[in-house]
Amino acid sequence: MDQFFLFIDRVGLEFLKGAITTLQLAAVGLTFGFIIGWPVSIMKVYGNKWVRRIALGYTEFFRGTPLLVQLFVIYYGFPQFGFTLSRFASAYLALSLNSGAYQAEYFRGAIQAIGEGQMMAARGIGMNKVQAIWHIILPQAFRYAIPSWTNEMISMVKYTSIVYLIAVPELMTRAQELASRYFDPLQTYSAAAFVYLILVGIMTVITNFIEKSIKTPGFEVEMLKH
Amino acid sequence: MNIPLNNSLLKIENVYKSYGSAEILRGISIDIKSREVVVIIGTSGTGKSTLLRCINLLTKPDQGRIWLENWEITADGADQNKVRQQIGMVFQDFNLFNHLSALGNVTIGLTKVLGMNKQKAIEKGMWELERVGLKDKVNLYPAQLSGGQKQRVAIARALGLEPKVMLFDEPTSALDPELIGEVLGVMQTLAEEGMTMVVVTHELGFAQDVADKIVFIENGKVVETGSPEQLFHNPQNARTKEFLMKITDLNKTSDEPVDSSKR
Amino acid sequence: MLITLVTFLLKGLLVTLQIFLIALPMGFLLGISLALVRVYGNPWFSKFAVVYSTVMRAVPALVMLFIIYFVITGAIDLPAFWAGSLSLGIVTSANQMEVFRGAIQSVGPEQMRAARAIGMTKGKAIRYIILPQALRLAIPPWSNEVAIVLKDTSLIYAIGVPEMLRQAEYFSASTYQPFLAFGACAALYFLLTFLTNRGLDALERKINITI
Repeated sequence: MDQFFLFIDRVGLEFLKGAITTLQLAAVGLTFGFIIGWPVSIMKVYGNKWVRRIALGYTEFFRGTPLLVQLFVIYYGFPQFGFTLSRFASAYLALSLNSGAYQAEYFRGAIQAIGEGQMMAARGIGMNKVQAIWHIILPQAFRYAIPSWTNEMISMVKYTSIVYLIAVPELMTRAQELASRYFDPLQTYSAAAFVYLILVGIMTVITNFIEKSIKTPGFEVEMLKH
Repeated sequence: MNIPLNNSLLKIENVYKSYGSAEILRGISIDIKSREVVVIIGTSGTGKSTLLRCINLLTKPDQGRIWLENWEITADGADQNKVRQQIGMVFQDFNLFNHLSALGNVTIGLTKVLGMNKQKAIEKGMWELERVGLKDKVNLYPAQLSGGQKQRVAIARALGLEPKVMLFDEPTSALDPELIGEVLGVMQTLAEEGMTMVVVTHELGFAQDVADKIVFIENGKVVETGSPEQLFHNPQNARTKEFLMKITDLNKTSDEPVDSSKR
Repeated sequence: MLITLVTFLLKGLLVTLQIFLIALPMGFLLGISLALVRVYGNPWFSKFAVVYSTVMRAVPALVMLFIIYFVITGAIDLPAFWAGSLSLGIVTSANQMEVFRGAIQSVGPEQMRAARAIGMTKGKAIRYIILPQALRLAIPPWSNEVAIVLKDTSLIYAIGVPEMLRQAEYFSASTYQPFLAFGACAALYFLLTFLTNRGLDALERKINITI
């Protein structure tokens, strides 16, 4: 038992620092993913042929290739052309672009679920296309997309572990350092897993809170949570 | 509202519309005078709905022209959005804005399209909702309203912009039978107040009571036009007779005899 | 040089596919069984399934990989390849369990009632009425998961297994062409996911019954 507390004592701070970095990475990835995702989804639904193609290319590429490979292309590949990004910058960029593609798909689904009738009704009272999208379609699509988006929040926390492979000092990396330096790997990684469990738990609580507070009657849609 | 009597308000001239190889409208011409209530009847929904959508330019006719008073709205330069401010539309599926309350549904057109200030818009919105009998439901959301209430909000929403003519696309077809009456009642009041209306419906009782003119459309063409007396009691065209027989049979099997519906 | 690249990648592709073809079926069998336990099993087993799913889906695949790798190599001398495939299989089993659970529950309790009403036992009802419908409903989210498993094979890189990404790295190390190496690797993954999605779409169309 003493062993255990000793373990926590030495490991605790490292894990805490790692967890904070993990959350940082997740927050940035999610935010930029959101900023990228919405315009791309609008491009996909309302754009002309070429605009749609560009959006499609982006989402297909980033959803069709592993995040790890994308990370390597950015961190190891870009310097070949003079774009040398730091570990953190590469991590932020990869996570953002990747998340943006997935979020674009969720938002696209939400926009399309809102339906043609809403667009017709909006235009029927004299709105132009832009007004209709901004005042009628997007507010509804946004609410509809919330369950998927909160799922994305949770996934993101897990995906940040990948940046361990380019030595960004988040939770996973610190676990590995500790494992090789002090304790047996099994115990350390299990502890790390436990911390992830807690992080996800916290995220779940937050997302449930978000979903409850934005609740509008008529939008209690339970999408298949993955 | 100062509405001149008996002037042509809406003139539909020779409208054609195809979707791919399917010809939906094949030369429709209808003249609608101000304050007139025109009911369009006919087999299968698509042609009639398409016609209404051509009138408010949600769909562009392939051929033909449409005038709103003196304004040729199908002409190339016409501002579609302005057109739609003058022509109100009520849909079969209501299409209420789900993220807004009943009041919000009515005021959003006023503030964002007409540029009204918020306070005035709310006053007007309340007035319109009271007009359709929903004064105590103004803050409820569409998900909390019954079908009939939703449709009445939709009517208030369209009325808010003070259109010159109101289009109704099978307004009661998606409603449970016991809710149809409240909507038809509002529509009848509207007609009595002098609104020019074009209504696509299967509710022959309403047509008989409220319409000034009935237009029977089949296969994309106008088959026969006339007053309710003429069309229902003395149809000239064989296909009109056929259609009326079929549809009155259906009406007879429900408890409503066709020609005695005072709602 | 391109030929060398292709050779490297194809060697990696072989390993990637092997990992994929071990992890996916394992996840499928385990996932479906757990889903059935979750929906129809007795309360204790059902709860276990819930816990399993919650834990396995909260932990990143990479962490799980390491844990299992160290657990297994601690106990028996299993090569990294197997440790990797096994851990991927476990991770995907939790996701697949959720997919099938959702599908089974979407089929609806009325179907079960109707089946029991004509005298079927619970087991028969599941086998002949529920599962066939559930499997059809599951195809879209399952296709999603298949693509995820395919892409997650890249994680096995982390324990040194010479799959596609590792091979790309070898190539990059010897030719100093990281962009080409990793870019080509990405392109190859893209091709794989594209083909898989197409194949599964065709499968869905063939089996499609609107429920």
